[in-house]
Amino acid sequence: MTRDEFKDKILAILVDDFEFEEPGLEDNLRDDHGFDSIDAIELLGKIELILGFSFTREEKEKAMGIRTINDILDYVEAIQQSRTK
Amino acid sequence: MAEMQSSNNSFSLRRLSAECIDCLVTLVCWIWFIFGFLLFFSWFYLAAALFRKKTELYFQRLNSYFYAIFFCIVRVTAPRQRMVIDEKIAEIRSSVIVCNHLSYLDPLLLIALFRQQKTIVKSRFFKMPVFGLIIRKSGYLPASSEGQFAAMMIKQMDTMGVYLKSGGNLFIFPEGTRSRDGKIGKLNKGAFKIARMHKRPIYVLKICNTDKLFTPGKFFFNTRVKNEISVTIADCIVPDYHNHPPTIADLELRVRAALGEK
Repeated sequence: MTRDEFKDKILAILVDDFEFEEPGLEDNLRDDHGFDSIDAIELLGKIELILGFSFTREEKEKAMGIRTINDILDYVEAIQQSRTK
Repeated sequence: MAEMQSSNNSFSLRRLSAECIDCLVTLVCWIWFIFGFLLFFSWFYLAAALFRKKTELYFQRLNSYFYAIFFCIVRVTAPRQRMVIDEKIAEIRSSVIVCNHLSYLDPLLLIALFRQQKTIVKSRFFKMPVFGLIIRKSGYLPASSEGQFAAMMIKQMDTMGVYLKSGGNLFIFPEGTRSRDGKIGKLNKGAFKIARMHKRPIYVLKICNTDKLFTPGKFFFNTRVKNEISVTIADCIVPDYHNHPPTIADLELRVRAALGEK
């Protein structure tokens, strides 16, 4: 899956399931959209479904530091790359 | 003049003796907290810690018994305090429970009421020597997921679905802090998100008058005034998660209405 395709899916999830209004790629998720750690864990579950594999606990811990949608895309890209190696 | 002086003296004496009673009741409760734990409960906690599989469950039960005894002590030592708890509350299982927050007694009261309970606790408490260990072993969640708490939060959230399905309750004070004027403050949405994520009912409980016994900002219990502490079910929200999943805003609105605010 390309970064753009993944971005579209993430944006759709954030709008449909997390009730975001007009999310921007560089918005601060917490400050601009009230996205908290519980949301982060729920989103990780949805990303796992898209990717078809589960994250390790260490990978999930790293995700807790994510601040923007671009961070999410970078994070998933890095994990996908490390798994294909 | 002499009569007035005598009346003043008697008033001061009465006030002093009443304050002594408050001091004594508070002291007895603290004695229970320290020596009740050290002499009696620490052994059970130690034994529970040895069980690898059901440690959380055993710790939660011990917490519940510990605080149930605490409230028995309060009832005996402060007979002017009456407690009225809706009997149906003890039957609540597998639910997310949200409640208004008036006093530090509120979480203790809810722990005493539910044998299988988890809650969200201020992160700094997890760093305390003994108390921190107990709340960690009980499977309580830290309020923050920053730094060292990220792993703890993830572990608890990973197992939350199974925990709730097995009959456990998660109680949360969505205001996050005690109300000083009885009004409902801004509600954090975490409780609603967890309920929706795991498709669980939300019970809204209303606690009244715990602040009259243990007033925010005061050290001693106020045992002299006649007081009725009550816990009632204000609402039970069972959304149709499959066909009409509610928005978080919907849930918040309904909880706020149940707690008596439009």
